Amino acid sequence: MELQLGLPLPTHNFIENFDLNNDGFDPKDDMVGLKPWNCEDGYLGNKRSFEVAFGKNIKGGSQELPLLSWSGQPNDEDDWKGEKKISCSINMNDEEENQVVGWPPIKSWRKKMLHHQHQGAHVVNRNYRMVTGNHENGAGSNTRYVKVKMEGVAITRKIDLRHYNSYQTLTNSLTSKFAKCQNLEKDAAHFTLTYQDRDGDWLIAGDVPWQTFTESVQRLEIVRNAG
Amino acid sequence: MLRKASLFPEEMLEHVLSFITSDKDRNAVSLVCKSWYEIERWCRKRIFVGNCYAVRPEMVIRRFPELRSVELKGKPHFADFDLVPDGWGGCVYPWIAALATAYPLLEEIKLKRMVVSDESLEVIAKSFKNFKVLVLSSCEGFSTDGLAAVAANCRNLRGLDLRESEVDDPSGQWLSRFPGSFTSLASLNISCLGAEVSFSALERLVGRCPDLKTLRLNHAVPLDKLANLLRGAPQLVELGTGAYSAELQPDVFSNLAGAFSGCKELRSLSGFWNVFPGYLPAVYPVCSGLTSLNLRDANIQGADLINLVSQCRSLQRLWVLDYIEDSGLKALAACCKDLTELRVFPSDPYGAEPNVSLTERGLVSVSEGCPKLQSVLYFCRQMTNAALVTIAKNSPRMTCFRLCIIEPRAPDYQTLQPLDLGFGAIVENYMDLRRLSLSGLLTDRVFEYIGTYAKKLEMLSVAFAGDSDLGLHHVLSGCEKLCKLEIRDCPFGDNALLANAAKLETMRSLWMSSCSVSFRACKLLGQKMPRLNVEVIDERGPPDLRPENCPVEKLYIYRTIAGPRFDMPGFVWTMDGDSV
Repeated sequence: MELQLGLPLPTHNFIENFDLNNDGFDPKDDMVGLKPWNCEDGYLGNKRSFEVAFGKNIKGGSQELPLLSWSGQPNDEDDWKGEKKISCSINMNDEEENQVVGWPPIKSWRKKMLHHQHQGAHVVNRNYRMVTGNHENGAGSNTRYVKVKMEGVAITRKIDLRHYNSYQTLTNSLTSKFAKCQNLEKDAAHFTLTYQDRDGDWLIAGDVPWQTFTESVQRLEIVRNAG
Repeated sequence: MLRKASLFPEEMLEHVLSFITSDKDRNAVSLVCKSWYEIERWCRKRIFVGNCYAVRPEMVIRRFPELRSVELKGKPHFADFDLVPDGWGGCVYPWIAALATAYPLLEEIKLKRMVVSDESLEVIAKSFKNFKVLVLSSCEGFSTDGLAAVAANCRNLRGLDLRESEVDDPSGQWLSRFPGSFTSLASLNISCLGAEVSFSALERLVGRCPDLKTLRLNHAVPLDKLANLLRGAPQLVELGTGAYSAELQPDVFSNLAGAFSGCKELRSLSGFWNVFPGYLPAVYPVCSGLTSLNLRDANIQGADLINLVSQCRSLQRLWVLDYIEDSGLKALAACCKDLTELRVFPSDPYGAEPNVSLTERGLVSVSEGCPKLQSVLYFCRQMTNAALVTIAKNSPRMTCFRLCIIEPRAPDYQTLQPLDLGFGAIVENYMDLRRLSLSGLLTDRVFEYIGTYAKKLEMLSVAFAGDSDLGLHHVLSGCEKLCKLEIRDCPFGDNALLANAAKLETMRSLWMSSCSVSFRACKLLGQKMPRLNVEVIDERGPPDLRPENCPVEKLYIYRTIAGPRFDMPGFVWTMDGDSV
């Protein structure tokens, strides 16, 4: 990858342009005849300067009439920062501390759909009344998602068990999904597929009939064999 | 020698103008002189109103007496992400009522993010004898009863497109209201509907409309019925499947594959809810001709996904979930050299850990392999300045670049630096960039770059970025073509806003939520700028019950010649001269 991190920026000082006491004024900014706003004056303190501002005719006809001129002083004392917000802070909903409203920016109705997809319920569109409720992965639902983790791999994947009809198809698919991570194909004999059943116990996959397995499995983990 | 414009025959000018259809060109024509303004307004057929509150319907009607097509947008874009409280506004009824009286020959109505009642749909259905096209994009407030009225009454309907709207949908019977003699349908998009539609009514409708080119079904249409529909409409150009799963049966599969093979004109595919991968090869016969593939609802992963995408060598547009991963994007870059638009959506946006291996490398591969790339929407969990610089240099034709790094304020994960330089390279290299969405850790510096370089930028979306008012000031003072600016959770306050007040009249709208703009500044702005509506949206209650220097929750400022609106709910206040 090519790296070039130095960006040529205009060399003049942005702040200077907007300090009206500076003679090196860029005419196209059209901020003529205005006194620099000074926070000591108080916000609406100097009414006359505002009258002056709106009385002046700006050259060139384009009306650039800022309500106050840019004094180049960001974050004056009136600005809000951290602690100063306390007096009228917006009520943060503590329960939602992990989820910011509207972030990430995905359409709100899709959120509901995703939520249901991950719960394993029937994936419907967003007309919420159609959803048959937050039931478990039971008959009648079209998807059967379980998480699959592999020892030593950061990413936990999700698979839909309905796509498979036997242990063989399942392990083939997992092999191809995780192969690039851990050379699973070559060392298949060194890994074991385990699963957690409804009772919370971890068992080795393959001992019970496939159908029984799919009904009871909650999550999968691929572990290295000891020794 | 210069002749007065009025000596030029009107009929000739009108004839010339009939070839000029773009809004911008029409607007420019109307500014040449008074007589051109008059001639133009009498022959303008289509109008686009980007903000339904910027102008009153009567004003439009008075100026343009011969409209045939009206397009309106309502709520601000951030309404898509639940940032605009319900009830804010955007009701279309007053417009529909006015249009119904003024334009009996109206043919098209296109609405986006508006509240549309069944009553509005009934008025549309009964008022316009030659009504042809209804598009309701991300709208809400109506039910299938309203649709039934449209179906029953609009004898010449050519297009009904409900894309992404929220429809109260108790039954699918409305489709049967299209009379048996109705054959003009060319485009039908019902993908957002929840309930089952009457399949036999759908099948008959599809079978008797020879011009049907676009058919987007909803998930409730089962896969085993799809083949019948396709055989009834082999001329389809755009198809959205229903649910794409069934038990794998060889005869269902071959029937479906055969039906797809018969659709020689098919160029766009979407749908694919609940995909059963075994059925994917049924679409392979059409893949080589596809220019658009939308898999955003498809839970296809790994090899199944890569195999499908690799068949689509003519692809120009791909929407896909991040199941495609970096490896799939690399394959995409290798096969789809005509790609112009890529959107990668998150499959698990709220998960604490990544569930797929999709990183900045995927986007870099696509930028390297697809020189025509113009439009990107990319959700990922990590990014570097180096990757952004590379992407910036690889894709000179980019016009729309939206990057969403899922964790707010995430830095360059290798250097832990802000992503200012990366986005700076983006705006410096993309000379035609019109739309940009930022994410990750960003200081005021990035806004300095944007103000300096993004001279064609029209829409900018900012979240969790910047350090001070200087950031906002750079954008407002530097981006000459800025039209829409939407900001959330940034430390921007009064100074930059007030110093650039005049700029706001040159833009369509500004949205700021969870920023630091005080009520006092809002009042001042509203008082001094009569051609702006300054709306304070605050669900905590009336802002004048709190100190004036308290920041408002949400602020929506838009230019308007309609004056303040009167349909505001209790949590919206318009600042005007009276409120100070």
